[in-house]
Order: sequence, then C-alpha cells, then structure tokens
Amino acid sequence: MIRAFASGMRVHVVQFSRNPFDLSGVFLWPILYASIAYYLLDAKHDPRLLFASSLGAAVMLMWSLVVIGSSSALENQRWLGTLELLVAAPVPFAVVIAPICVASGFVGAYGIAATLVWGRLLYGVPLVIAHPFAFAVALPACVLAIGMLGLVMASTFVLYRAAFSLGLALQYPVWIATGLLVPLSTLPAFVRQIGWFLGPYWGFRAIREAALGSRAWTYIGMSVAVSAAYFVVGAIFLRLFVHVARSRGSLKLT
Amino acid sequence: MNSLRVFFVGGIMSYRALFNWINPWVFVPHTLGYPIFEILFFAYLGRFANVQSDKFFLIGNAFMAIAITGFFGMGNSIGGERRSQTLATLLASPANRFALFLGRAVPSILTGLVVAASAFSICRLILGVHFQGGELAGLAVAALVASFACTSFGLCLGALGLRGRSVSLFADMVGGSMLLVSGANVPFAQLPGAVQAVGRLLPLTHGIAAGRKLGAGESLGAVSGLLGTEALVGAVYLVAGVVMLRVLEYQGRRSATLEAF
Repeated sequence: MIRAFASGMRVHVVQFSRNPFDLSGVFLWPILYASIAYYLLDAKHDPRLLFASSLGAAVMLMWSLVVIGSSSALENQRWLGTLELLVAAPVPFAVVIAPICVASGFVGAYGIAATLVWGRLLYGVPLVIAHPFAFAVALPACVLAIGMLGLVMASTFVLYRAAFSLGLALQYPVWIATGLLVPLSTLPAFVRQIGWFLGPYWGFRAIREAALGSRAWTYIGMSVAVSAAYFVVGAIFLRLFVHVARSRGSLKLT
Repeated sequence: MNSLRVFFVGGIMSYRALFNWINPWVFVPHTLGYPIFEILFFAYLGRFANVQSDKFFLIGNAFMAIAITGFFGMGNSIGGERRSQTLATLLASPANRFALFLGRAVPSILTGLVVAASAFSICRLILGVHFQGGELAGLAVAALVASFACTSFGLCLGALGLRGRSVSLFADMVGGSMLLVSGANVPFAQLPGAVQAVGRLLPLTHGIAAGRKLGAGESLGAVSGLLGTEALVGAVYLVAGVVMLRVLEYQGRRSATLEAF
C-alpha cells in the first residue's frame, strides 16, 4: 500500500505539473487574492500582516486545488470509464484516491513560492522566516492536512455525478471558516468553531506560526493529528460509499 | 426562421440536458452558494481592512456573478461539445453558428442573472445593507447591460474553444482576474495605471462603476455615460466574437483539431 501511495504521488505530481498552461493558474490565483488583500489592507506599516496574507492566499489555492483536483479526478475517471477498474483493483480505493488529493495540495505549495516572491518584488513584503526548520516541517504537514480533508470530500464524490460542481461550491465556505484571509474574530461566533474541524485551519496556522510566531509545533501536531483522523474517516466513508455505488450500479453514470 | 428555431429549441434542449439530471440540493448550493460566499468573503475582508462599505463589495461581487455565467455560458457550450466528441458533428450541420451557440448560452446567462439577484438579496439581508426601490431598479438596468457585455466577451472565449482545449481554465483565470482588474473588490482608482488601462477595455468595469453610483442614489441619466461605454465594449466584443467563431471554425476544420481533447 505504501508503494502504491508513493507511486501514485509521483505520477500525479508529475501529471499535474506537466501542462504549463494549467500551472499558470497555480501561480495566478494566489497572487490575485494576495494582491486584493494588499490593496485592501494597505498595511505598509505592518509587513507581518502582509506576509500572513500571502501565506493565507497560498493556502486558499491549496484547498481549491485539492477539492477541485479530487472531484475532477473522480469525474474524469467516470468519463474515461476507468472508475470501475480502480474500484475493482486489489489496492484499497482510499490508497488510489489519497495520492490525488495530497498531490493536488503539493502542487498548490508552488503557490506559496509564487505569492511570496510576488509580495516581495511588488509590495516589499519581507521574506524572513522566524523558524526555518519548523516551516520546512509545517509545509508538508499543511499539505497533508488539506489533502486528507480532500480525501473525506472525495469519498462523497464517489456517490454523486455532480462531484465537480460540489467541489467548486466548497471553496469559499472553507476559506471563510478557516480564517485564511479574513480573521475569524470578524466573523459571527458560530463560524469560529467550524474551523477547528477543518484541515486548512491547522495547516495555515502551522506555517504562519513557523514563519512569524512561536507556537508552530502545536499546530504542526494538530495538523498531523487531524490528517490521521481524516484518513481513517475517509477510508471508512470510501469503503461505505463505494459499496453503495456498486450496489446501485451508479459508478459508470456520467 | 430556422435560425430562430435553432436558437430557442436548441437552447432549451441543451439547458434541460445540462441541468435536468442534477438534484436540486446539488444545483442550489452549486449555483447559489458560490456567489453568496464570494460576496460574504470579500465583505468581511473589507470589514476587517476597514475599507469601503458592505454595499461596495455587495454590488461588485453580485456583478461578478453575472460576469462568470456570461463567460462560462458561452465557453462551456463549445467546450462541452468538444468533450462529448460532438463538436465536429454539430459543425457539420448547416445551422447558423451564432444562433446555435448563443441559444445554448442564453438560458445559462438568464440563470446567472436570477442567481446573482438571489445572492444579492440574501447577502443584503445578511449584511444589513439597505437600498431604495429606485436604486434597485437602476441596479437591474446596469446588471442587464453588464450581462450583455460579459456574454459578448464570453462569445470570444467560447470561440477560442474551437481551437483550444483548456478554454474553461482560461475563462476561469480571466474571471478571477476580473475580481481585481474590474474594481469589483478594490477601488478602481487605487489600481496601477496599467491595470486600469486593461480594466477599461474589459466588460464589467464600467458596469460596476455605474452600479455603485446607482446604488448610491444617482439617477440613470447621471450614469448614462458609463452604461453607454459598457454597452459599446459589449458591442465590440460581440462583433469580434462572431468573426472569431467564423475564422476559428474554418481553422479547426482545416487542421482537423475539432475532436482533439
């Protein structure tokens, strides 16, 4: 299973990085959101806020790529007629889907580099990372937490043909609930607790604290813990939903 | 007469085929959820940054919802045929191309207008933004003009689908850029000169500016210049789109790339 996961990761990262046109979106989106934040915040005197906004915009892209990547991957398999073959393969379906989700988040990490360079060149945002080692650990932890949440989402996509539409609709709600660009303190109280259950909440705070603060390891630990929980839940859901889809004979419906 | 039949009957059949299979509980969050959360996201970002009012973001992003359906309605009508491997068959028919593709796009665009109006109304209640009756009527007029301009621009994007495979992604990136370039979320005057110059050539920019003035109580006469410019931008893209449809179809036939996916 480890070999299948590693091989899947390698294949999907290469595949997602193959088309320069597709990749241009990876660079454009976080830069756009970061630019809007720079203009609105106009925080020339608070470079930490601009730096945090850059990281938030990059994590927003990671989540978009994971949720859209996992939903479109399933939709593509349906269209190509290979979803039934993947389900019928002796490797657990979760191990087939998980690399797609994590690889999408990994490609989204390119956006961090793009946003930071953009912020530095155009807005003079300082690129000083307070804890480089913690940042190096926090980044994959963030990718993992977001990717594994994508796995849980992907399990529901197995059941529905409208997977891609659902994936698109889930972008903004998660961006809001996890406080990536808009602080949770400005949102209604009930929204704040929702974020605790979402991987991007912990992943973003892990990399932000590693770059700017001091509590990175707590958030890294939480990112790893929620990733493990998501994997278990995602694997159970996938098994359950695949069983339902097989019983209904709806795997092939496009 | 035949073109009218292609426009109406083809459009209705295509629209039913596009959405008939989808459950309401998926259709509603997908179409309505996205613009609602987009408006709320930027409105709360504005509150945090302490810049502009909720009204500024409400109008800007409601117009964005109209733009997106205009862009994607046309782009997807051609891209969908390519994906289903029916584009070549469709283009082998003698039907008027403009009626064929616009007929498919118009129902989506009308849905987009309804969705934008619904999202606008719901977010207005959530954010507690008030408008007078006359202001809402003015906004509706500005929205219609902006919708025409965005659909015309979408025709150009859709025509690119006769040659390229990643038109949806391109439309997505153009739509995303409009969040910034059109002044939907950042005061237009605050943008760099080069970005403003690009923004002035794109649809929506003048429509949003007109919408904001109408939302602030100005009369239609006072914003007629902005609305006229928006309509002119739309007319130019409409002509460009029709020419592009003709030229790119010819090139696609010659290079046998209509079925490439």
